[in-house]
Amino acid sequence: MTHAADPTRTVTPREPVRVQRIAAAHGGGRKYQVIDAIRRGDPVEPVVHEALQREEAVLEVRGFCLWYGRSQALHSISMRVPRGRVTAMIGPSGCGKSTLLRAVNRLNDLIEGVRVEGAMLLNGSPIYAHQVDVIDLRKRMGMVFQKPNPFPMSIFENVVYPLRIDGESRRGVLREACERSLRAAAIWDEVKDRLNESALGLSGGQQQRLCIARAVVADPEVLLLDEPCSALDPIATIKIEELIHEISQRYTVLIVTHNMQQAARVSDYTALMYLGRLVEYGPTADIFQNPRLPETEDYVTGRFG
Amino acid sequence: MPVHEPQPPSPPTRVQRRRTLLTARAEPGVWLLGLALIASVALVLGLVAMIVVKGSATFWPRPVDRVEMRDGGVLLGVPVAQEAFEPIGPLVESLAAFRAADEPPIEGAFDERGRPVRRLYRVANKEVMPEPFRWVPLWEVRRVTRPADAALVERVEWGVWLGVPRSIFEERIASLPEGAEWTAEEAGPAGRIVREKVGEGDGRVLVRERRYVAEGPEAAWAALPRAIRAGAARRGEIRSLDRHGLGPTNRRIEDWRLRVCGAELEHARWRDRRAPWLSVPLLGGVVAACLASAIGAIVARRGRARSLAAPAWCLALGLALLGALEHPWSAPSMDEPRLARVRARADAALADLTGRYERTLARIEELRREDGAHRVEFVEATFGQAAGERAGRPERPLLLSQVVRAVRANGLSPAGRVGVYLSRWREYLLDGPRSNNIEGGVFPVIFGTVMLTLLLSVVTVPLGVVAALYLREYARQGFVTSLIRIAVNNLAGVPSIVYGVFGLGFFCYGVGSFVDAGASEAARLPRVPWWWIVASACVLVATAVSCAGLARRKPGQDPTRRQRIMGVVAAAAWLAAAGLGLAALATTPYFHGLFRAKLPSPTFGTPGLLWAALTLALLTLPVVIVSTEEALSAVPRSMREGSFGCGASQWQTIRRIVLPAAAPGIMTGTILAMARGAGEVAPLMLVGAVKLASELPLDADPPFLHPQRSFMHLGFHIYDLGFQSPDSEAAQPLVWTTTLLLVGVVLALNLAAITIRARLRARLSGGTF
Repeated sequence: MTHAADPTRTVTPREPVRVQRIAAAHGGGRKYQVIDAIRRGDPVEPVVHEALQREEAVLEVRGFCLWYGRSQALHSISMRVPRGRVTAMIGPSGCGKSTLLRAVNRLNDLIEGVRVEGAMLLNGSPIYAHQVDVIDLRKRMGMVFQKPNPFPMSIFENVVYPLRIDGESRRGVLREACERSLRAAAIWDEVKDRLNESALGLSGGQQQRLCIARAVVADPEVLLLDEPCSALDPIATIKIEELIHEISQRYTVLIVTHNMQQAARVSDYTALMYLGRLVEYGPTADIFQNPRLPETEDYVTGRFG
Repeated sequence: MPVHEPQPPSPPTRVQRRRTLLTARAEPGVWLLGLALIASVALVLGLVAMIVVKGSATFWPRPVDRVEMRDGGVLLGVPVAQEAFEPIGPLVESLAAFRAADEPPIEGAFDERGRPVRRLYRVANKEVMPEPFRWVPLWEVRRVTRPADAALVERVEWGVWLGVPRSIFEERIASLPEGAEWTAEEAGPAGRIVREKVGEGDGRVLVRERRYVAEGPEAAWAALPRAIRAGAARRGEIRSLDRHGLGPTNRRIEDWRLRVCGAELEHARWRDRRAPWLSVPLLGGVVAACLASAIGAIVARRGRARSLAAPAWCLALGLALLGALEHPWSAPSMDEPRLARVRARADAALADLTGRYERTLARIEELRREDGAHRVEFVEATFGQAAGERAGRPERPLLLSQVVRAVRANGLSPAGRVGVYLSRWREYLLDGPRSNNIEGGVFPVIFGTVMLTLLLSVVTVPLGVVAALYLREYARQGFVTSLIRIAVNNLAGVPSIVYGVFGLGFFCYGVGSFVDAGASEAARLPRVPWWWIVASACVLVATAVSCAGLARRKPGQDPTRRQRIMGVVAAAAWLAAAGLGLAALATTPYFHGLFRAKLPSPTFGTPGLLWAALTLALLTLPVVIVSTEEALSAVPRSMREGSFGCGASQWQTIRRIVLPAAAPGIMTGTILAMARGAGEVAPLMLVGAVKLASELPLDADPPFLHPQRSFMHLGFHIYDLGFQSPDSEAAQPLVWTTTLLLVGVVLALNLAAITIRARLRARLSGGTF
């Protein structure tokens, strides 16, 4: 069942399914209570671990729904992204994790016919409000996409692009910012001698690190990574993961990934999504070793999904 | 109990490989495709080769034949073509008579099958020959020789003359005291001196004295190069005085006349000026109203009543416009004394200029008299006549300064031939046309073509790129945008002459006469109704802005019904406001034209370079729009998203990411548009190309660029040479050369654009910056 057919089923609100921890029962299709409820289109309440309550939230999502035209892609998502941590979002294809990420910096505005409900707050200020200037809003975040997308300019100009568009033209400032963020993205040593060459001449992994450098050059409040390693080979992936680990000391990172091991390696918190709903959200260690839902356990161990 | 034998597993059914169908093999088709490709390549190569061969052969010097006929006639001619033919009419009898006489024919008079052959000679000598070309049946020819002293003379006027030089001389009228001794002929230092009495009076005798510089063909040929050079120098001096002495003086006289005209018009307005005492209260009122509405607008913007800001701004702008146009405080100041001062200054300047004009004219006259002394005789063979000064006066021999080039066609060394060839090319590329465009060069034509092409791309590329940007990047993709796209594509298919008609009607006669003289008398409105139009336009703009504000939807929300309606209302109000604005412009009583003083002779209200460029820009606009749109849609979405993700606005994204990435594609569109525009002829005939333009559209007179002037164009020139010229047969080789040149110019323009595009591509695809 695809979520395209979903909204027709969401009309009648039913009693939310109370989730208990079900012992690893065997046999029968009744094993996945939550998933089945989601498939039926029943409202479910996600399992959110208590550890999250203690963290200070940089980004707060409250009852957020999103429609592409008439089909609903996100169903009343509520979650808090803790400050200074790496939060990973996992889930099968089409579960809405990328949509949620792109909703954070309102890139979905570019798509015709997108409609939202609910609220998102970045450090307490609303993201979806009438008076918000979307351009100013996006300046507060950095985003890295699935495929490396360097601009057709020199490496230097690529990195300082966010500063350039804000009117910064002092050569010294730009040079300094460029070096700082290239170092932060662990690519400085590789490109320091060819800053004036085209960025399109770099390898895929280098291009992706360049994009990360570009995303952090203006000190974003949140760094949004949309499957940053899915187009890269294993060696480049390891480099990027190390890099994420590095920059998580300084920035809040929200990362979408398909790769369970990657989530386990780089993130502090993990959220599992399914068909546009949040299923379980908690510290990565708990999600991977001690999940509360059998669905989660089976998903992270590869038995489901 | 029957035991079910376990069935032996059936062997997996192997898929029967069928034979490969004959139709799967594409070889015959491939051969056909290859043949088609070869055919098209051959066509293109053939076209180019034909143009190159025929076009470059035009200037090669060819031999001159002296043809002696059996009936005693003689002619000098350049052999052009030869063919076997079937004689008809009187030629049948002539051939029969020849056969009966049983005389030996010249070589080649009959082809190998015994058919008679005729040869086409270019006999030129327009003054004496009935036709420039003549077919000569070869059996009627007794002898063909190539005399070494025959000359092919290119003259400034009247085309080519074929003849043999007889003499070069200086001829002056001398006046001798009556009774003085003079001889009719004596030997001078260089040659004979021949005198002839032409009149007497005031006690003096007028004698025409002819001093020979060279006599006889050999001596004449020896003296010709120097004499022609000196003649060319004299011609150049006269022309330069004419152009740089008389021309500017003339223009300044015209300027002063226009200034007086303008002052008189201004004076007329001064006489009908309104009461000046109105000035102060009106000015005060307008300024106060402007200030009040501007302050109101600012306050409204700050406060909660934002939707009031737009009407307030519109009111302020409308009042400012009212103040600027009515300006009672600055009524025309051209009163009687000022007008008198202008007239006095003009009179003084005119007196000075007229004096200068007379002096230059006198100098030119003197030079002409001196030039008239130097003459040369080229005698043609048929009637023994020498080339005349002009058609009406064959008795006065040709002026040396009228000779552009005398080619000793049969006595040239190979190097000499190449020299003549190159010098003809040089003249062709760098000089202006003469004698009905058939002779001389095409420099103004090339210049006009290049100017037109550049001007049209300067107009069409920004316009097309902006239109495509809006269509692709800003406009919501839907029914209306598809409709516009279809319309644009169809525009590309409209026959070009339609654009010509539109350009003539709209640009030349509509916009052009508006620029010249303001709105026509019939369209001009009185002040009060006109202000009603402006006021309603202002109201509409205010409505549109307010409605657009109300139509803004909340982020992430579908527009409500009310917002949709507001959006439609805003669009309709914008459209209506634009329409009213145009109407206001077309009926304004305040604008009286920029070139009113020159009327009734139009300045911009007539075909010219600017209007031709605009017409062709319109014609090539679809090409630019389509290719720019394609280039824009080829810029990957990920790049745009990356830029938005960095916090760039849409405009910043377009300017810094999308446009640079799309630049090669846009250049391709530009190239296509330039190629199409440069080769277009039909609309140009209506909107500005002429047979002969005396002035270039770009010259040293301020304001340097004269877009109102008509111009010459290679495409039109070809048409004119081949089909409109009185001597189109003689012009045919030039048609080929001009075609070659047109192809060359288009190629050069394209090459330049392609080079730019290649550089852009190289920048995009890596490498250093």
